[in-house]
Amino acid sequence: MAKTILFVEDSASVRQVMKSTLTREGYDVIVACDGQDAMSKLDGCKIHLIISDVNMPNMDGLTFVKAAKQLPAYKFTPIIMLTTETQQEKMNEGKAAGVKAWIVKPFQPPQLLAAVSQLIQA
Amino acid sequence: MKEPMRFYQNDYWQAFSLLAPGGLGALGIALFSRYSMSGLLMAVGLIVMTIGLYFWSQNRYRTSLQAFEQHLTESLQQENEGKIKALQAAQHENALTCTKQFEAERKHIEILMADLAQRFDSLSLRFGTQDQPVEAVKRSVETQIADLARRFEVLSKHLDEQSTDDEKQEQGIAGLDSLCQKVLPIWSNQVEMARVHTEESIADLAQRFDALSQRLDAAVLASQNTLEGDKDSHGGIVELLQDSQSELGSITQALGSSLEEKEKLLRSIEDLSSFTEQLSKMAWEVSSIASQTNLLALNAAIQAARAGDAGHGFSVVADEVRKLSRSSGDIGRKITETIESVNEAIEDTLIISRKFASQDKETLGNAERIIAAVLRHFTQAAAGLVDSEELLRTENKAINNEISDVFVDLQFQDRVSQILTLVSDDLNKLEQHLNEFKHNERSDGSSRSVNVEQWLEELTHSYTMEEQLAAHEGAKTDIKTHQNNITFF
Repeated sequence: MAKTILFVEDSASVRQVMKSTLTREGYDVIVACDGQDAMSKLDGCKIHLIISDVNMPNMDGLTFVKAAKQLPAYKFTPIIMLTTETQQEKMNEGKAAGVKAWIVKPFQPPQLLAAVSQLIQA
Repeated sequence: MKEPMRFYQNDYWQAFSLLAPGGLGALGIALFSRYSMSGLLMAVGLIVMTIGLYFWSQNRYRTSLQAFEQHLTESLQQENEGKIKALQAAQHENALTCTKQFEAERKHIEILMADLAQRFDSLSLRFGTQDQPVEAVKRSVETQIADLARRFEVLSKHLDEQSTDDEKQEQGIAGLDSLCQKVLPIWSNQVEMARVHTEESIADLAQRFDALSQRLDAAVLASQNTLEGDKDSHGGIVELLQDSQSELGSITQALGSSLEEKEKLLRSIEDLSSFTEQLSKMAWEVSSIASQTNLLALNAAIQAARAGDAGHGFSVVADEVRKLSRSSGDIGRKITETIESVNEAIEDTLIISRKFASQDKETLGNAERIIAAVLRHFTQAAAGLVDSEELLRTENKAINNEISDVFVDLQFQDRVSQILTLVSDDLNKLEQHLNEFKHNERSDGSSRSVNVEQWLEELTHSYTMEEQLAAHEGAKTDIKTHQNNITFF
């Protein structure tokens, strides 16, 4: 059975590319355009991995991660942050919130796929 | 250095205190002198002196009032000038920062767009087609961003000119407030428009590249299925070729076996001709026996005639034997004739069979050569297809790598979008600040001020990338690509 990934990203182009790339690798992909939209999609369905941007309108990525971790169904779901942020403070904040990996844009799709594979199998 | 201002606050009362004793003194002099001429003259003199002092005192008050007014105006002007300079410096700094960021961004977009156009062209060349709009998108985005950068340059120069000319500065500052209030929302809208346009164009490009990649994968899979067969166990060309080779080989074997059978038949017919020779010999022996029997019957008839009547019965028998020997001789000749006919027929059959056998052998040889040639052509064609498929697969891998690189480049849009959003937000903040100044001036007449350092500090904290900070600090920098960009916690 295919694993499900929630991909949260405000950039339409990155969303488009990564949805296609992950789908071709055999994953089921749910996309959301910001943290608020993503929260509305965490309705109890099984999600194996969350990939989220940090800087987004309405609700930023770190706020979303903290809110998602409050939900029992997603307390142990691994999370990857995909962002332009390179500040150590933000990375520390992400780590404290329960983020498993921090990827700085621009990235090669195979890099992300390797991280996804590693975290989903863990 | 200016003298400290002296202000006579109660000059009216001082004048009045002069006027009252003067009047009373004149009245007293007039009364004590009993209205003598000299007394009256002194009283008049005192009154004149008192009135003169009164007017002098009044004049001194007006002069001090004017001096105070002037002092107050000058100090207010100095204070306002300081605050206006601070505001202008903030606008100047902000515009300079925006200009630097725009310039850095514009150059980065130019490089990326050139790279994208090059990659797209190379892909189009690989596919042998020319798709459209990278150049158009590039021109459109570049034009808009270059236009914005030019506007910021103009503003920057305008601010520079103002700061060097005090007299013009007053007029410029008054005009600059109105200009900023009107132009900042326009710039903000332009930046937002450029950002949205870039995002839409890049999303469209990403979709096109993704579609290209998918179509290429499908083409490679179809080619692979054609050659090697698919998962539904439909054989490919290679398997078909092997089957054909095997089936055609079995046909030539069957033809060879048939030819061997024909040769056996030919040998059997040749054996038949040896039987006919024996039959001919036997027929000749029959004829020979018939001839001897006839000669014997003739002798018997002669002997019977010599015997007279006693030999009459024997002569009858001898006649009958002669008839029989004649009949046997006739039959022997007929047998010989028949055997000769059969022999001729067998000879003809043998000649025809040998001819057919030779033709069959030639046909089988031709068939084998043709089949071998066809199979060789098929094998060469299949090998060509395998090479093509291998080339297609290699090309697909190379193109997928190219597309993967293009996807990396396309991510610049996300970074550009964040930079433009930040610039737009700061422009909006400046506009809001100016509006608040205007509103406060109207409502309570209070003076305006801006904390430039705080403004720049807040701007610094809003950056998300190192490059933004570097651009803020005046360094000319390109956007970095991090090599080791994954951190696991």
